[in-house]
Amino acid sequence: MLSLAIEKRLPGFALDVRWETEDRVAALFGPSGAGKTLTLQCLAGLLRPDRGRIVLDGRVLFDSEAGIDVPSRERRLGYVFQGYALFPHLTVGDNLGFGLRGRSRAERARRVGEVMERLELQGLDRRYPRELSGGQQQRVALGRALAIDPDLVLLDEPLSALDAPLRAQLRGELGRTLREWGKATVLVTHDFAEAYRLGDRIVVYDRGRVIQSAPRSELLWQPASETVARIMGIRNILRGTVIKATPDRIQLRWRGLTLEAVNSPTRAYLPPPESPIAFFIRPEYVRLIRKDRGAPDPGHHMNLMSGRVVAEADFGTTVALTIRLDEPGQPAQGDYDLEVEVPRLVYEILEIDRDRRWQLSIHRGSIQVLPA
Amino acid sequence: MSAVATAVTLLIGLPLAWLLSHRRFPGRDVLEAVVVLPLILPPTVLGYYLLLLIGRQGPVGAALAAAGIEIAFTWRAAVVAAAVGSIALLIKAAQAGFEGVDRRLEQAARTLGRSEWSIFWSVTLPLAWRAVLAGTVLAFCRAMGEFGITLMVAGSIPGRTQTLPLAIYDRVQANQMTDANALALIAVGVVVVLIFGVSRLARLRY
Repeated sequence: MLSLAIEKRLPGFALDVRWETEDRVAALFGPSGAGKTLTLQCLAGLLRPDRGRIVLDGRVLFDSEAGIDVPSRERRLGYVFQGYALFPHLTVGDNLGFGLRGRSRAERARRVGEVMERLELQGLDRRYPRELSGGQQQRVALGRALAIDPDLVLLDEPLSALDAPLRAQLRGELGRTLREWGKATVLVTHDFAEAYRLGDRIVVYDRGRVIQSAPRSELLWQPASETVARIMGIRNILRGTVIKATPDRIQLRWRGLTLEAVNSPTRAYLPPPESPIAFFIRPEYVRLIRKDRGAPDPGHHMNLMSGRVVAEADFGTTVALTIRLDEPGQPAQGDYDLEVEVPRLVYEILEIDRDRRWQLSIHRGSIQVLPA
Repeated sequence: MSAVATAVTLLIGLPLAWLLSHRRFPGRDVLEAVVVLPLILPPTVLGYYLLLLIGRQGPVGAALAAAGIEIAFTWRAAVVAAAVGSIALLIKAAQAGFEGVDRRLEQAARTLGRSEWSIFWSVTLPLAWRAVLAGTVLAFCRAMGEFGITLMVAGSIPGRTQTLPLAIYDRVQANQMTDANALALIAVGVVVVLIFGVSRLARLRY
């Protein structure tokens, strides 16, 4: 259990965050410069907050009112720095054993050997960091932090130093390692896929503040606000006007159409009529209505609309279509209204390359409203 | 004598360089200015003030004299003069070296349970040794060549406080050119050997 409330003022930036987690891996997610790394440094005692309190498993690491500020070297946190910060003048073995000073030589050797074995670094103990691949460097950095048997592991952008194919591979590897060691972890990343893959809880940062902290699936399906949704990179974030809101449905007006959405089951949102409302529609949840099956059935097809494909982007296994609705007026997203993603197979069967006019339907459960 | 001076310089200079490169404190700018002062001031002016300080009537000199230690016009004064004249070179070089060490490496060491003292010896110095070595050599050469300050505070007493440059000056004044030549060659030899040896060393990686 980690709970943290810190304020820190720097020239041109103010950090003011509070969150807590009981999950094993908490991912701090947000754009660069949002204060994620700053938080990690405060946690590790490398930076002193102006005010606040940090408690890890009942151990107070920092409390400005009680005048407690445990120095870094006594916090027992395994910090894996961005870019790894391996000691270039020391061998892999010496890097791994760096935090074990004060223990007997035998104990140190045993511990380093164990870490090397579990992280598959055998045979590299005499090498220098510059002689290692990116993946090996990452494992050494992780091993150096784990060797001291820390109470909490801190990972700052652990994958950003690697190129894309290796990154995807190491993401899986890192997730496995973290699970195997079972250490509570705080991870910093600006990549939502990384946060989602590795984090049990995701804490969303924006401009020095926390704008949402939730289990990862809750965050994925119920972003707390439009800002959160934008930071997550969600597409088709749209704005309409409320017609009527009840605890289970919200009716809204958008582009001259009346849409029906499901209200959030866990925290119903009841904005008054005529108030502006933001919502999003996942591109892969928009249905194209087949023309060979007769007229659309209003009982089965809800939120009907029609439009034409104005552009498409081929992603190989899927194709993203940008669609402009037939309703008059300015399109909602520049020169189009909706982005729709279809599997390649569907694209071919429906001959979308030839046929550009389509009727669309969106299930009410696929329209997510975003609280203001 | 230059070696002793260089040792003194290292002892005082390295902590100062570390302080200047790692800590922000009130008066840091003043300290930084004071450190380079010996490079800018005319040596005789420096020597004059030093004499006021460590002379028998000076505050430091009087205190030490009470403890039975004479400084002015002894070999100790020559050491002090050489150290004062050369310390700025070491501090500046070492400071730049220390500042060039990735701060995250020191932070990593801190989270791994090391004290600041241990971090200096196991991370900062091993990574900045080239700069420190270069500064030390410069300081040593400068110490060896120290003339003005030495003359002011130590005089030029043959066999006691007469340093190499002072001896050369004396010989030239006395028109003993053969002696002067030999001494000058020794100075050149020492410096050349030193610079050559150091550049060989610096080619090692760590």
